[in-house]
Amino acid sequence: MAATEDTGAAQPDLPRRAASSGALFAAALALPGVVAAQAAPDEGVIALKYLDYRDWQPGAERMTVRSPALYVRKPVSESLVVEGSLVYDSMSGASPLNHNTLSGASGTGITEYRTAGDVKVTKYFGNQAVGVGAAVSSERDYLSRAASVDVRFFSEDRNRTWAFGIAGADDRIDSVNGVAQGETRHTLEFLVGITQVLSAGDIVQTNLTYSTGHGYYSDPYKLLDTRPDRRHTLAWLTRYNHHFPQLDATLKVAYRYLHDSFGTDAHTVELAWVQPLPRGITLTPSLRYTTQSAADFYFDPPFPRGFERGAFYTADTRLSAFGAFTPGAKVGYDIGGGWSADLKVEFYRQRSSWHLGGSGSPGLEPFSARWVQLGIAKTF
Amino acid sequence: MNLYRFTFVAMACECELQLWGEGSAVYAAADAAIADVRRIEAKYSRYRADSVTSVINRAAGHAPVAIDAETAALLDYAGVCHALSEGAFDITSGVLRRAWDFKRTPPRLPDAAEIAEHLTLVNWRAVERTEHTVFLRTRGMEIDFGGIGKEYAADRAATCCIERGVHHGLVNLGGDVRLVGPQPGDAPWAIGIRHPRGEGALATIELRAGALATSGDYERYFEIDGVRYCHLLDARTGMAVSAWQSVSVVASVCTIAGSCATIAMLQGDGAPAFLAAQGVDYVAIDRDGRMSGTLAATART
Repeated sequence: MAATEDTGAAQPDLPRRAASSGALFAAALALPGVVAAQAAPDEGVIALKYLDYRDWQPGAERMTVRSPALYVRKPVSESLVVEGSLVYDSMSGASPLNHNTLSGASGTGITEYRTAGDVKVTKYFGNQAVGVGAAVSSERDYLSRAASVDVRFFSEDRNRTWAFGIAGADDRIDSVNGVAQGETRHTLEFLVGITQVLSAGDIVQTNLTYSTGHGYYSDPYKLLDTRPDRRHTLAWLTRYNHHFPQLDATLKVAYRYLHDSFGTDAHTVELAWVQPLPRGITLTPSLRYTTQSAADFYFDPPFPRGFERGAFYTADTRLSAFGAFTPGAKVGYDIGGGWSADLKVEFYRQRSSWHLGGSGSPGLEPFSARWVQLGIAKTF
Repeated sequence: MNLYRFTFVAMACECELQLWGEGSAVYAAADAAIADVRRIEAKYSRYRADSVTSVINRAAGHAPVAIDAETAALLDYAGVCHALSEGAFDITSGVLRRAWDFKRTPPRLPDAAEIAEHLTLVNWRAVERTEHTVFLRTRGMEIDFGGIGKEYAADRAATCCIERGVHHGLVNLGGDVRLVGPQPGDAPWAIGIRHPRGEGALATIELRAGALATSGDYERYFEIDGVRYCHLLDARTGMAVSAWQSVSVVASVCTIAGSCATIAMLQGDGAPAFLAAQGVDYVAIDRDGRMSGTLAATART
């Protein structure tokens, strides 16, 4: 029973051992749950989205955009991932109304098209990842080309990630009405961010983005619009996710402060609740509130009160002081076999009176918009 | 995708999950994986009076005990390990811990009579099986899933994650590692092999899939007159083995990697032949600290 055996005498036993090497594997496979029922698919994704955007002000419909988009992500080798997207927008209608006394609509209601594409390559090394990207956006009166580099450092315990990024963009504006001819704009952007896992159910991320640019910022389609030729912005974004295991849900909170040298400082708060439901459905309601102060060179109606020839001037609603709410909801459906679909709807309402403190820019009609986006994706 | 790390204590050791993914899917996978590890611990722990192991042990010499498919499969697996190790690996050898007390100070070597007395209860062939029952024929016999349970739990935890859509990650239960999938972009995980005598890692293995488990003489041991006696006992002799400081095995699943590592330690000089016959890659560190094995050349030091 307790016989000692000379384990050195392996030679004659080797064929028997070789024959039984499969026995261990077979016995292990018989253990329930040792091997997953399905082999994990390669982490490639292809997604198709279709966005329908419409905005309006009381008494007037303004702009509609229809935008199909294609997105692909594929690991092409060990540690290298490539992702890219293509977007084709058709925009029709007029751009936002100025305040009433200038009612300068931009176009005559014809349809404009925009094609945009971007590519990004990310390489993973042990505790770092480096990404390089390029993007182009082209429409009849506007061409933008951008490039970016980002580096991420993962801590040894993987609870902390540092991110650093630098990006540059070159824009060229040739307005159809000839006001802007061969105008250019150059922008440089820097990002530093940190992501920290606080506990099994909590993660926080904070990013600081500084952007500086010079060139043509005015709107050539407004009867009078002269903006500074230099602009810098500082954005501070903090996001926090908390998971509730009993509800199997996640609360997402985000706050962004934007300081803009134009004077349009803004605070934005966003809340979302991700709730998985039976049958592979996930429901995510969300609400965003923004309050923005007016640009230094924004003038209340009526024109030309307070205006001095040669000074900077804009009557663009988007640079006024206002508050805006964006309620929305997204429904995701996991079809199975790597397929998923989602539907997202958002409504936007902007009003001067909703500016925090109530003192928004007077004399403006409320502005509303809605997004409906349908998407379908497949992992491969 | 972000990397999430979950640490917890289970099976009397430090455990962790490192999972890549997006928020709620990762949390759901981690919850399920950790819950299953705790389930297995509760079901097979010999420290819990209501565990399957304790019920079977209390009935030794009395009556057969009804068992479910999971327990039956684990016992079948233990039987294959017993056969492949030619009796050195035996889940009825737990009774030997009464002779080998690793917590005693000063440490004491058991004498031959003590060992022989306990060896009478070490007998896999006295474990009578039918498809749905198990009976330990002799009163005082005990089975202990300690040698297989942790690795089995690691595999199940990884499966929980894969089935919930997490395809990049790893499970590490006290040094027994099973990959859920490679790092994003098909990048490998760098898994360190603990230095058997020093701090930190002796070597690093890069792995994209499968499992890595290590058996070593440094987990529980005492030293007398400069000779180390560790908790790995050859069930045939009741004696501690000493040919290797540690053996680390790479296999497709952690259950196999762990069993091969433990059996290799028990096989002494026969370890390389055994591991070759099993067709697994490994790193072995002998009693003098020299590294060998099919992965020794490529392991980063």
